[in-house]
Amino acid sequence: MTLSPLARTRTHIAVLAIVLGMLVVLGWHLRVRHLEDVLVRADPDRAVSEAGLLNFAMDRAPALYSRHCAGCHGRDMHGSRPRGTPDLSDSVWLFGLGDLPDIENTLDYGVRSGHPKSHNITDMPALGRIGQLSAAELRDVVEYVYAFSHADANPDAVRRGRPLFMDKGSCYDCHGQDGTGNVDYGAPDLTGRSGWLYGGDRRTLFQSVNDGRHGLCPAWITKLSAAQIRELAIFLYTTARRAPHSPTGAAGAT
Amino acid sequence: MTVLSLEPRVAGSAMDFTRVNPRRSLVLLAIGAITGIAIAGYGLFTAKGTRVHGVPPEAIALVNERPILRSDFVTQVQTQYSVPYAQTTAAERRKVLDDMIDEEMTMQRGLEVDLPSFDPDVRTALVAGVELQLFADVLAQKPSDAELRSYYDAHRDKYIRDGEMRLRDLLAAVTPQRPPDAARRDAAAASVMLRQGALLDQVLAQFNLADSRRLLDSGHVDTGDVFDFAARARLDPAVFAAARALTTGQVSDPVGAADGVHIVLMVKRVPPAQRSFGETSNEVWRDVTEDAKRRVRENNLKYLRSKADIQVAVP
Repeated sequence: MTLSPLARTRTHIAVLAIVLGMLVVLGWHLRVRHLEDVLVRADPDRAVSEAGLLNFAMDRAPALYSRHCAGCHGRDMHGSRPRGTPDLSDSVWLFGLGDLPDIENTLDYGVRSGHPKSHNITDMPALGRIGQLSAAELRDVVEYVYAFSHADANPDAVRRGRPLFMDKGSCYDCHGQDGTGNVDYGAPDLTGRSGWLYGGDRRTLFQSVNDGRHGLCPAWITKLSAAQIRELAIFLYTTARRAPHSPTGAAGAT
Repeated sequence: MTVLSLEPRVAGSAMDFTRVNPRRSLVLLAIGAITGIAIAGYGLFTAKGTRVHGVPPEAIALVNERPILRSDFVTQVQTQYSVPYAQTTAAERRKVLDDMIDEEMTMQRGLEVDLPSFDPDVRTALVAGVELQLFADVLAQKPSDAELRSYYDAHRDKYIRDGEMRLRDLLAAVTPQRPPDAARRDAAAASVMLRQGALLDQVLAQFNLADSRRLLDSGHVDTGDVFDFAARARLDPAVFAAARALTTGQVSDPVGAADGVHIVLMVKRVPPAQRSFGETSNEVWRDVTEDAKRRVRENNLKYLRSKADIQVAVP
């Protein structure tokens, strides 16, 4: 059995096309690897200011976010109050000031992830369940915190709650005397001006103080490549920079 | 479209795909094999942490093939100088990097000389570090109220407030002048008189009784309050059993012991009591966590033993 000249030509073209296709794929892959390397090697400020790198990261990051982050933080990046996962679409940061290295560090090692380098200095203690505050004291300290962002707080309870916040409850230690929180510890702002992680109504505040909170984020350094982590960090950094200054769920929101 | 050709083909042409050509087959096979090996090699030697030439992009330095990560370096620079990375100078960055390299080399030296095998501090820190890793999940969990309640119900005996007692342990000593039977008679008579309200000093003098002094070296005088566990440790078991059954103001029957016959006058008794769940929830939480840690530790050791080659010399 022999092939006609036309069939032979077609066969040659097919072989050539396959080889060319493989070369194109290889070239594309090498280009991507090169860009990844440049992105990872770049200083943080260059990575977010150089258009080529920024676009490269922003093109690839949404797929990574959907696959690895959206499960907890939501596809719309607004987080979840019942689960206490932060809103990533605003400019409020629980840990650090929102610079690229801060975000990258959180992605690398996570929050209370079990990795020794994770953010794990503090934890919101279950002040009620461990017996540090009685039920009545819990109500008073909750009222004191509630008063940071609400005008209808009970003044007597607020008066009783203040020394509990400042002394027996040790709340000020992490959240500060003015309740504005501390990004070194991941202690949220309790004034409501930065929105709420779990909610600022009395019931949710009571749950927070009574049962404690223990937000977690995995350490991605063992699951994603350095390039993927940097792409995600750039994506989160850029999204936060584009967000309006007043966070969703601003003062008074519950 | 395939058609049959009546023209004879040149035998042996590599481009004649209508005929089997062993040389062509070998060449194509070789090209395929080389391509496969090249792709595999590329993947193998460029995968994260496997690069052997140059510094991989995620690292700022390699120290004896061990990377110092860029992200760690940037964080360290920011931490050390308390300003954003972009505001640090090249000299500051270089200093931090040199320090990190020094630390890495020193750490590697420690491993090289097998420091954990002979330095107890390093050994302890290493064991503690490994255990902390193991316990990370346990420590991260906050058991629910239902779980705590269930544990409390299953271990109620762990949450009993120990009783307290203040007592006089009076001894009718057995001596050559007072044989055992006489000692028992004296103790029985003394017990009756005390129950009838006789003054203690009078009874002590009348029957030649003395305090056993068993509780003196416990740090308490005999008339002080002691917890049940302390009394159990100090008193003769039979005397403690008799004491534990008494309430405030009661006097025991004579109790025989090695040194003579005792009677116990219970001055004040606070019996053991079950502590409520609310009162103990913090301890229950701690115990639940400790139990979980113990299970994790046991499972880990079981796994390690299954992998380890352990040879024990018969003593």
